[in-house]
Amino acid sequence: MAQLILNGVVTGLIVALPAIALSLTFAILKFPNFAIGAMLTFAAYIAWALNTLAGVPLVAAAALTLVLFPAVTLICDSGVFRPLRNRGPITLMVASMGLSFVLENVCRLVFGNDARNFDIPLSRPLRYAGLRINYEQIVAAGVAVAALILVYLILLRSPLGRAMRAVADNPDLAAARGIDDGRVIKATWILAGVLIAASSVLVGMDRAIDPQMGWNYIIVCFAAAVVGGMGSPAGAVVGALGMGIIGELATLVVDPNYRAGVAFLAIALVLLIRPHGLFGRREIKK
Amino acid sequence: MAKKTNMPSNAGRRRVLKTGAAAGALALSAPFIRPSWAATGPIKIGMVIPFTGATGAYGPEMEKAAKLVVKAINDGGGLLGGRPVELIIEDSETNPTAGAAATKKLLDLNDVSCIIGYWGSPIAMASKQLLIDAKKVMMVSCAANPVTEQPHNGLIWRFQAKSTQWGPAGAKIMKQRGYKNIAVLAQQNPFILPMIDPFIEEFEKGGGKVTQNLTYLPEQPSYRAEVEKVFGPEPDAVFIPGLLTDFTSIVKEVYRGGFDSKICTLSIAGDANGRFLKNVGAEVAEGIDHYQPAPPLTSPNYKKFIQMMGEPEGTVFLFAGNAFDQMWVAALAMEKAGTDVSADWTKMVPEVSNPPGAMTGDGMEALKMIRAGEKVAYVGAGADCDFNDMGDQLNRSFLHRVIKDGKNEYVQTIS
Amino acid sequence: MIGYLTTILALVSIAALIAFALNVQWGMCGMVNFGLAGFVALGAYVTALITLQGWGTIPAVAAAVVACAVMGALVSLISVRLSEDYLAIVTLGFGEVIRLVTLNEAWLTGGAMGLPGIPRPLIDVIGDDQYETFYLVGCIAVVACVFAVLEITTRAPFGRALRAVRDDDLVASSLGKDVLILRIKAFALGGAITGLAGAMQAFQFSYIDPSQFTPIMTAYAFMAVIAGGRGSHRGLILGACSIMFLLEATRFLKDVIDVLDNAQIAAIRLILIGAGLIALLIYRPQGLIPEYRMRAPAGPRGGGDPAPDARRTGADTAKETTHPDYQMTPSPKE
Repeated sequence: MAQLILNGVVTGLIVALPAIALSLTFAILKFPNFAIGAMLTFAAYIAWALNTLAGVPLVAAAALTLVLFPAVTLICDSGVFRPLRNRGPITLMVASMGLSFVLENVCRLVFGNDARNFDIPLSRPLRYAGLRINYEQIVAAGVAVAALILVYLILLRSPLGRAMRAVADNPDLAAARGIDDGRVIKATWILAGVLIAASSVLVGMDRAIDPQMGWNYIIVCFAAAVVGGMGSPAGAVVGALGMGIIGELATLVVDPNYRAGVAFLAIALVLLIRPHGLFGRREIKK
Repeated sequence: MAKKTNMPSNAGRRRVLKTGAAAGALALSAPFIRPSWAATGPIKIGMVIPFTGATGAYGPEMEKAAKLVVKAINDGGGLLGGRPVELIIEDSETNPTAGAAATKKLLDLNDVSCIIGYWGSPIAMASKQLLIDAKKVMMVSCAANPVTEQPHNGLIWRFQAKSTQWGPAGAKIMKQRGYKNIAVLAQQNPFILPMIDPFIEEFEKGGGKVTQNLTYLPEQPSYRAEVEKVFGPEPDAVFIPGLLTDFTSIVKEVYRGGFDSKICTLSIAGDANGRFLKNVGAEVAEGIDHYQPAPPLTSPNYKKFIQMMGEPEGTVFLFAGNAFDQMWVAALAMEKAGTDVSADWTKMVPEVSNPPGAMTGDGMEALKMIRAGEKVAYVGAGADCDFNDMGDQLNRSFLHRVIKDGKNEYVQTIS
Repeated sequence: MIGYLTTILALVSIAALIAFALNVQWGMCGMVNFGLAGFVALGAYVTALITLQGWGTIPAVAAAVVACAVMGALVSLISVRLSEDYLAIVTLGFGEVIRLVTLNEAWLTGGAMGLPGIPRPLIDVIGDDQYETFYLVGCIAVVACVFAVLEITTRAPFGRALRAVRDDDLVASSLGKDVLILRIKAFALGGAITGLAGAMQAFQFSYIDPSQFTPIMTAYAFMAVIAGGRGSHRGLILGACSIMFLLEATRFLKDVIDVLDNAQIAAIRLILIGAGLIALLIYRPQGLIPEYRMRAPAGPRGGGDPAPDARRTGADTAKETTHPDYQMTPSPKE
């Protein structure tokens, strides 16, 4: 039981990062980014190429990915999302679907279909009070928590964060007060890029990297972000942790294959009681 | 033809009969005379294999192997009196609808004489009716039993062991290892599921017990919950029939979870031409048993095949060997029948592959012998290639290996 | 060649039906359905299970249509309290649950093994040789019927009411429309059409398995609706055709490019499809054929071509331009 909860927390923390990225882009750009999975894949391949092909140690490769990948999200934004900016959420959502086809298959084109792994040794777990905790879990938890604190500081303590929240709350008012929303959008994509890059490395350590990999995370990420309330980064974290723990605990009662089903049931229930998620706010209807 | 010319007429009935007989003789001997219209074009062979989607990793090696055969045949002067072989390959996208559309394209647009490949049972299942309707030969490299179960007019040939044959072999290995309590963690997949029941039956025959039988869905973010559930009660060993990507994740999870139960799996997951070892490293992989239908490892022809594929000695191919054999058997049967009309040459498939006959694994040599009128029994790079009436392979023996110090070590061949 | 075309056309009809369904739900009523593949799967499995019991085609298809319509109504009930984005997730979840059930409940659905040997309608009467042609004619007839029904519905008050709900549900309800009932009806109608599509999918290969109903099927439906023009049924058929054409035409890429291996060509194919979709969205947002609409004559806003038989109907045109979120057609001056 305790082991399951621990596992659930770690799974949740890994998912929390892209879920925050999803929530952030939703808050600022007002559309659900379906390309989040493919972006994750793409970032993981960048890290893998640096790590194995260029022979950079994983820590350095991860750091480089954190720097390089935001450039990719910015390119995606200017190539795909910016021209469609005022077309409504569904158009953007479908465009993000198209983008995920492109990103996933660029990885396939360049690196092929094989499953890839980082060049790091695996280790046996530490044992503590009957619990098994492994090295990757500690790293994942550490990185995720650090990233969460970083996001929290940026959003709540920096001028940029204030501008982002202003745009998220009411773009028109923010524009009227002289906030440059182009800059805010760029900052959002950079932040999302960093989060996605960080989680891609954690995911790559957790399992194998292959071109399909991102699809496995789309539904979980969305579930986490929705439960927490789309547009609320803190909610995304709570949502991700909750989904992780519920998912693991559910295996005690139902066939593990229905884990995803239980997660969806949770979403449906949350949405029925709170239509805008646990931490979401009702948007002002124009 | 002959019947029409035999229609009674008043004048010269005898002459008509004669022409009729002549026409009949001509029709019979047509394959051997090879009328000029047929001799001009290349012999077209289609191939449907995955390059994208979840099983995209298995397509390229099959493509490479099939192309080796095409090159060998064409360099050696082609088939049926000098016609070159043209191989047209389509992507199945690991998706039955796309696979069936590809099949239809090959049949109608390229007018192929047969279609080979078919990795993945759902794709074969969705496509097979199209081939049966078109009266074209289908050669599959997938294992699900239903592919050959319904009547198919002798058009479908399976170059892979049937799922139900895989199960008992695994059980025998685990019995020999002396395991008493084992668990099964199987991928939810039409190739793997049918092997579970025969596996359990065979294992429990020896007095052992299968304590848990869990299936998992591929393409999940993590397999932590499944691993926890199956390895938690600490069985002696776990049988994990899966595919490379998910098996890699599961084994990493087992190692990091600190579990000590032994693992037995299929070689397509636990070897995959060395990719598994490359994925997880020697220490994690230590002691994993894996098995697969045995290629004729010791034969010089198999060694030559590996060399042609550009892989180090000792590599054990499965699907590449299947593709290689499919091409050769198709070529040999066509040469033997003297035609590329599917309905005719499909009858020759057992003739060129089953004993009696001179056993050979060298396709070019087999072609020469067929041209010389000798009886051959082709021995493939993936299997012996002997078939029963249903189109399934006979006498599949399995090769059992274990991972020791970062290498795959031969243990035994199980029949 | 003919046989290949008939297969492609049969697949196009299925794609067109799914696109029709999406259009009723999303295009006309503004409710996103990301679980389309799940609905189609439901229709296909109901059809297959009933025909395999030997109950004949018509009861099977009817049951599939009813099952999907009821399921559509149920799912849309959740939408009472949800905004568009959340409904997207609920439907996505619904599709996933259907997939899990078809995969795991092997006693009913055959699990990953699928259900082989589904009897095709009238195969004994028609015979093997002519069957392909017959089947294609049948498919086209079904699409034509659905098309006719939808065209009539669109032009009927029901259709206008739906669009009113889509463009602004508050205004619609203040005009005395029962928004909830309208939404449920639209989702049920769309569901019924996916049921038909599912039945056709089951007969197409006389074999179904869960891998035929992946999210990519939903993605193609969205592409068809977007390419064809949201709201226009003729456009949808064109959209479905062009998506299929794109999918199949890219098969011939490798005859042109020789240097790459098949895995790379396959990747390029899917890159082109994704990029094509994005390009369509950017450069031809109104789709190939714009929505049927009782246009106002070119007014001071200058939006839209003046149609000769244009009549003014308030709720329709006015709302379209005041609600930027749903405005798919930018005015030419932008």
